[in-house]
Amino acid sequence: MSVRNREWPVALALTPVLILILAPFVWLLISSFKTEAEIGRADPFTWPADLMWRNYLDAWQIGGFGDLVGNSLINLIGVVLLSLITCAPAGYALAKIRFPGREWLFYAFILGLTVPVQAIVIPLYQVLFGLNLVNTLAGIVLVQVSNGIPFGIFLMRSFFIGVPDDLIEAAKIDGASHFQILTKVFLPISTPAVQALVIISALSTWNDFFLPLIVLISPEVQTLPLGLVRFASTYASDYRLVFSGTVISFLPIILLYILMQRRFTEGLTQGAIKG
Amino acid sequence: MVIPETPGSKIVAPLGDASAAAGHTGGLSARMSEGRTAGAALPEGSPNGDARTAFWLMAPALALYAVFTLLPIAATFWLSFNSSAGFNTSASFVGVGNYAKAAQDPIVWKSLVHTFLWLAYHVVMAGGLGLLLALAVSTLRITQVFFRTAFFLPHLVSLAVVGVIWANIYDPFFGLLNTALTRVGLGAFTQGWLSDPALVLFSVNVASSWQGFGLYMLLFIAGLQNIDHSLYDAAEVDGANAFQKLIYVTLPGLREVTTFVVSLAMINGLKGFATVFVMTNGGPFYQSELITTYIYRLAFQSQDHGLAAVLCILLSLLAIAITIVFNRWRARLSQ
Repeated sequence: MSVRNREWPVALALTPVLILILAPFVWLLISSFKTEAEIGRADPFTWPADLMWRNYLDAWQIGGFGDLVGNSLINLIGVVLLSLITCAPAGYALAKIRFPGREWLFYAFILGLTVPVQAIVIPLYQVLFGLNLVNTLAGIVLVQVSNGIPFGIFLMRSFFIGVPDDLIEAAKIDGASHFQILTKVFLPISTPAVQALVIISALSTWNDFFLPLIVLISPEVQTLPLGLVRFASTYASDYRLVFSGTVISFLPIILLYILMQRRFTEGLTQGAIKG
Repeated sequence: MVIPETPGSKIVAPLGDASAAAGHTGGLSARMSEGRTAGAALPEGSPNGDARTAFWLMAPALALYAVFTLLPIAATFWLSFNSSAGFNTSASFVGVGNYAKAAQDPIVWKSLVHTFLWLAYHVVMAGGLGLLLALAVSTLRITQVFFRTAFFLPHLVSLAVVGVIWANIYDPFFGLLNTALTRVGLGAFTQGWLSDPALVLFSVNVASSWQGFGLYMLLFIAGLQNIDHSLYDAAEVDGANAFQKLIYVTLPGLREVTTFVVSLAMINGLKGFATVFVMTNGGPFYQSELITTYIYRLAFQSQDHGLAAVLCILLSLLAIAITIVFNRWRARLSQ
């Protein structure tokens, strides 16, 4: 009961912290509706005289944000689907099938979990170049999937290990193959693991900067973070455009999160703890 | 597990990586042998048939992983003993020549020192803020979801976008920070946040930590929920006050999640790249150069692949060392 008494004092004490932490968002949002002259007056605390929706239209058209959002979506859907297709069967095999070389494979995946992608970037670029995948969305999808494979496999494997072997036995007696057991028995009961994999790979793909910077050279294939950085450095002196462009690049994911925060939170903590 | 930079997860993958690394290696061999005995209880098809099935189930993941991760790891190692002046030139064997060159390059040493400082800043600022807010937020009942959701918002912003945002916050003329300081009468504290060589690494790290603390907060909250509530009741019976409960029950109960968060924060920090690249590009005078940004500079701008490969090896060794140390620590805690 002492807890309940503390609710409002603690909430009140946290409010200034919250304001401080969210100030950048509020400032950007307000500034993105100002005219160039209003921003130049350098007082962040004044309200814009008129809401300049025009800024958004200008940024959207000049910055090519439609293409950037489209590329980011293709990138994200590709990575999430391909991650599921590759990691779930591999995690199942590592968790539930005995085969020679299993231990060896496990260590190989640990290596990938540990080594940062920046540490392998030169040969990685050469491989992509050799396969004609530089400057293509297919290239960025394949590299990001590969980058996430160790984590995805560990996540799925540690979830599958907890599924009783009896289920496999029963399905085998009914004549099911391992592939059928995976798709008809294991996957349907693995929602938490699948959800964690989807959320974690989606978030990291949507936000990735380093790999797109290496792989995606021309503006028409670039993803949102990369495009925004290019846009911001090109229009560095036109603050209206930089501010509204920045808001465009983070607003969709924030709205999505607010709508689905339970799933996000569950997925992220589940992924962390199981992974 | 999860996401470092997050550019790792890759963040974010980046997001998942470190935890998996941190979480799994510990019980690894024990689990492997466990798996083996459990496997014996399975109805035996032909063992060869099982191995063949396993191969096909692993094949897609393995193919991608071999081409885009394992091969590049091996090639980086090879490259570090060769000299090459660009992607289109052939390499020649130089033995440890690149390593000697790296040891004599003052920027290599600077970037190494900056990387360690960067990790320390990130663990203290992002990890510390995550812990403090988790302690406060977890006492809330009615408003908990609101605060948890709001505090997590910065983590959703891509680190590159964070770089753009904070470069504007730090802008000396119209930026939020200097203007706000002046407005509240602290004009004496206005600075060139990104142009002062002594301050720049810290300033950029504040931006990264602002983005990073939300995930650590969620993990600490999950850790707090796992503490056995009867321990608090027992402490209360013994007459412990709130502070004593924090010191004797809460913090010890968080030991395991703390190791995890610290290792995750270090791995995330090690992959730090986007904010520095966007905000300062390593400057002024290399004062915010990290190992990762120097690798990018050497590989894609000055085309010194041999030297870059040595830094790649250095970065990998640091990541492997962090993973091993924290797994040992974790294993000892769970004994």
